[in-house]
Amino acid sequence: MPDDPRRAGWSLVRRELRAQRGGVLIGVVVGLLWTVARVAMPKLVQRAIDDGITARDTGALLRWSLAVGGAATVAALFTGMRRFWAFKVSREMEASLREQLFGHIVALHAAFSDRSSTGDLMSRANADLLQIQNLVVLIPLTISNGVTVLAIAGIMVATDPVLTALAVGSLPVLNIVARRFGQRLHPASLAIQQESADLATVVEETVGGIRVVKGLGAEGVQQARLATEADQLYDASMAAARVRARFLPGMDLLPSVGVVGVLAYGGLQVIDGSLSLGQLVAFNVYIGLMIWPLRMLGMIIAQAQRAGASAQRVQEVLATPAAIVDPPAPRALPARGSGTGHVVFRDVTFAYHDDGPPVLDRFDLELAPGESVALVGPTGSGKSTVARLLLRFYDVDGGEVTLDGVDIRDLRLGELRRAVSIVFEDTFLFSDTIAANIAFGRPDADDDAIRRAAFLAGAHEFIEALPDGYDTPVGERGFALSGGQRQRIAIARAILADPRVLVLDDATSAVDPTKEHEIRDALAEVMHRRTTLIIAHRPATIALADRVVLLDGGHIVASGRHDELLASNARYREVLAAVHRPGEPAVGERADEEVVAP
Amino acid sequence: MMEGAVDQADRLDRRQAGALVRRLVPMLRPYRRETVRAIALVVLSTVAALAMPWFVKYGIDEGIVKRDKAVLFRAVLANIVTAVLAYVVSRRLIMNLSRAGEGLLRDLRNRVFRHLTGLSMTFFDRSKAGVLVSRMTSDVDSLAELVQFGLIQLISNILLLAFSMVALALVSWQLLLVCLVALPFVVGASVKFQRDANRAYLHVRDAIASTLSRLQEGIAGVRVIQAFAREEEQVRRFRTDSEHLLEAHMRSVWVQSWYLPVIELAGFGTTAVAIGVGGWMAIQGSIPVGSIVFFVLTLNNLFEPVNQLSQLFNTVQSAGAGLRKLFGLLDTGSDVPERPGAVDLPVGGVLAVDAVTFAYGASDGADAEGDPGGEGPIVLDGVSVEVAPGEKLALVGPTGAGKSTLAKLMARFYDPRSGSVTFGGVDLRDATLSSLRDRIVVIPQEGFLFAGSIRENVRIARPGASDAEVDDALRAVGAYERFAALAEGLDTPVRERGARLSAGERQLVSLARAALVDPAVLVLDEATSSLDPGTEHAVELALARLMEGRTVVVIAHRLSTSERADRVGVVADGQLVELGSHRELVAAGGRYAALFAAWSGHHDPAAVPAST
Repeated sequence: MPDDPRRAGWSLVRRELRAQRGGVLIGVVVGLLWTVARVAMPKLVQRAIDDGITARDTGALLRWSLAVGGAATVAALFTGMRRFWAFKVSREMEASLREQLFGHIVALHAAFSDRSSTGDLMSRANADLLQIQNLVVLIPLTISNGVTVLAIAGIMVATDPVLTALAVGSLPVLNIVARRFGQRLHPASLAIQQESADLATVVEETVGGIRVVKGLGAEGVQQARLATEADQLYDASMAAARVRARFLPGMDLLPSVGVVGVLAYGGLQVIDGSLSLGQLVAFNVYIGLMIWPLRMLGMIIAQAQRAGASAQRVQEVLATPAAIVDPPAPRALPARGSGTGHVVFRDVTFAYHDDGPPVLDRFDLELAPGESVALVGPTGSGKSTVARLLLRFYDVDGGEVTLDGVDIRDLRLGELRRAVSIVFEDTFLFSDTIAANIAFGRPDADDDAIRRAAFLAGAHEFIEALPDGYDTPVGERGFALSGGQRQRIAIARAILADPRVLVLDDATSAVDPTKEHEIRDALAEVMHRRTTLIIAHRPATIALADRVVLLDGGHIVASGRHDELLASNARYREVLAAVHRPGEPAVGERADEEVVAP
Repeated sequence: MMEGAVDQADRLDRRQAGALVRRLVPMLRPYRRETVRAIALVVLSTVAALAMPWFVKYGIDEGIVKRDKAVLFRAVLANIVTAVLAYVVSRRLIMNLSRAGEGLLRDLRNRVFRHLTGLSMTFFDRSKAGVLVSRMTSDVDSLAELVQFGLIQLISNILLLAFSMVALALVSWQLLLVCLVALPFVVGASVKFQRDANRAYLHVRDAIASTLSRLQEGIAGVRVIQAFAREEEQVRRFRTDSEHLLEAHMRSVWVQSWYLPVIELAGFGTTAVAIGVGGWMAIQGSIPVGSIVFFVLTLNNLFEPVNQLSQLFNTVQSAGAGLRKLFGLLDTGSDVPERPGAVDLPVGGVLAVDAVTFAYGASDGADAEGDPGGEGPIVLDGVSVEVAPGEKLALVGPTGAGKSTLAKLMARFYDPRSGSVTFGGVDLRDATLSSLRDRIVVIPQEGFLFAGSIRENVRIARPGASDAEVDDALRAVGAYERFAALAEGLDTPVRERGARLSAGERQLVSLARAALVDPAVLVLDEATSSLDPGTEHAVELALARLMEGRTVVVIAHRLSTSERADRVGVVADGQLVELGSHRELVAAGGRYAALFAAWSGHHDPAAVPAST
């Protein structure tokens, strides 16, 4: 835990800025050159008026107006360059942080992802990075703006201190007003965003639940809800409008105070002869030049506060150490052969929280090479935990898990996870083609291997029927597959990885009961002579295993063949019955048979 | 940076833009006063912005140069008045314009949503949910951006450009002509900028979308990535996306980076010209010095608006594109409207389907079974069936055979192409929609919950129902105790899409809704997937209680359900091929008998598809 999270956030920004220091330096230098040209211009205009027009000297007029033109060209050139470099630095920093975050998030242990929501991490990697980018882009600009303000103030004071006070006296107030404006507008904009999101929720659920809305004739109810949200959005928008109405006109008014002061006092000075007309004009132009830099200096303070909070949230993630990492001196698995795939849980104790009750308590389980074991137990008995410990998503609190005689903590994570493949209950597919999804664990697999895996998983037939076959895109932005189809693709993915140990974590739950027989044969084929750990509810799936283990209260309470346990163990029958419907033909003696129409 | 961008297909030509404006103007009618006032205030504030440098010019020429202090003070006073006026005007202007604009947006949101919810099921079947949601969100938002930020700038920049031109011409048209040499360059650069910027923003938008979706996948799929040890590969792919995004950003920055110098050069460069040429004219005595000062102070008003307008162009375009899509939605008519002179359905009676033929309408490509440009295939062909009051009819048959469609026609989710559906002798097409929903309630497969409390979710079925009536409805399905026992009781919020309740509990809420309506007919789509063991039984009991004494049409996925029904109808290939009691059909030895045989023991996978 860093001593001060706020400082940690800023140290992150500093570190990234140091990495970009070349770009920052160029941005600042270019900005300063722009400042010089910009500040020189009114001075040149003044000389053109005084030495040229007032003195009726055409030669001087030509010289000075050419100088103005030269300064204009330089200023224009550098205005583009300073913008380019400011954005280049800030965007590169944003990209670098984004990549760091992603790399870190995928490397972090499962306990971290359990704690954090996808939405929260997304907002850190997106909205928070944008806030930081918004600050960084202002840095070169701010430095050159600060110099601009100082330089102009210097020139003005040198010309006439009293007139300077009149001209720019009101401008520091502009800075304060701009800062307060930023502070007030931000929460108002957040409120608008929130109300928009609420309104979108009503629309989304109405469209998503349109059958319910239509079926109940609830259109009016939803319309009333939307009207409420629309009113709240209106109120939030008007609140933001009031903030703008309060501050923006004032920010326009303040520079006018300077213009009026200069005209009045400066005009008298010119009439008295102590000030030239050109100087008066130059003062007016200088006031105009100071407006934006001062406004921006005000805004950057408000932006810095937001960016600081964002940097803190980003740093929080980056500073979380990965708990599950490769061992310093990894051991290797023995070469694969007929006797490999030997899994032993020895005296394993595990709890998800330090102070929570143990999920597994002195748990022992051995899977002989090639053996398939079904893990059965009531909800919350720790079945899935066993699977997760075997993949080292978590480390055991006590005892050990070994694969082919090696403690899995002594293996490289990559080697362990290539040796053990899992099919999860909630199937996750990536936005890619079906072929790429199946080949996820082995990207170099050829088409034949992919097809064979899909065939074994009972997926080949429906994939072929899709519009683009194996090249059909799936996932979030792709073709919508049914839950059962997704699970079959996930099974194919695990098959293609050709692991020593296969873990099926409720992997057939979403497969339509009328289709289950299709993949039952596939599973039997895959499990043949491969160590397999099956977590399942369906008797048909459970019955595929060589041996069934009943898990209850964190340890194994019974072990044996499915039919033996059915006949001898009341608790086993109870656990299976809880998953099955009353009034349905009992699983009974035909347990290995399909339940046709549950 | 403004990041509004429009696809080529969404660009509006002048005629389309004109049509949009003509439709938009009547919508502003409730805000007539605000709008008129806002326009007047914009004109005033632009005049004020120009008056200030003009008074400076006046003060210099008539006051300072002529050494007349009284005139100088008059100019100072005029400037003070103008500044205060500008302050007041611009405060008012922001509020007025916001009231009109935000009011318009609110009305538009309500109107579009009201229209959307009034559209028929056929429309929702063929539209993607995401597209419909984006009408109400991003399309309205692109208008909102214009209203909140763009409109004031748009109007005042146009006015500023026009007024500055006039004012400069009045002060010295000769000098203005000289300065206008820069204008063709500025306009040319602006046109190119506008085009390049739009293209660059479109790239940025696409790159952001793909980077975010990759990010989302990385986070949501982290288990799978780790389980297959693919971290490095995923990081590499993300880096590629991230770099594409960076490139896209830099391209858009580059466009800005060459364009801004052109504008700035035009502004400052013409200042040099004004001083050079104007100074020479002043030396010749053809214009006063103050005029040059006026030019120096005002020339930026000529080129800066061009810059602002070209930056705004895309915002205006995307707002126009959004508006066009919204009007397109408002122009979509409902297929199942209420007839003028519609009557209420009787409280009870026979539900009769008579020689009904149905095909889903032409699809716009969103529908998989659609046949673009023509009518879909016939789903139901001459189906007739009568359901007596209190009778339970189960519909069975393979997926796509038409059993769901038949059930939906009975609730008038669609209207038949030919034939009729009547209840108590009244054609559903002649009935008021409100009486239809009171008599016939559809319960979908999954209990869908809306954000809000459990109580609010039940009450959605009858908005006027009292708390006691909601309680009674929950009791009627035997779910009252279960929910009342929660920490916050019936006021427990169910969060988005009911995430806090189990699937079975959501179904109980859905059944309680039906109980609250107390309809004569229930159309029930049985769930295919199994529920959690804890609530499965409760849902079965609730259903049994709800069905008591009511006419029920159930789309059966389990043969145990059809076994309990009074009659079973087998739908195959759009026709009702068998109709009779369970016993009769089993005895008849047809399709149903084969299905039932497969289920009740003689395992034969070929005959299995009783459902889905």
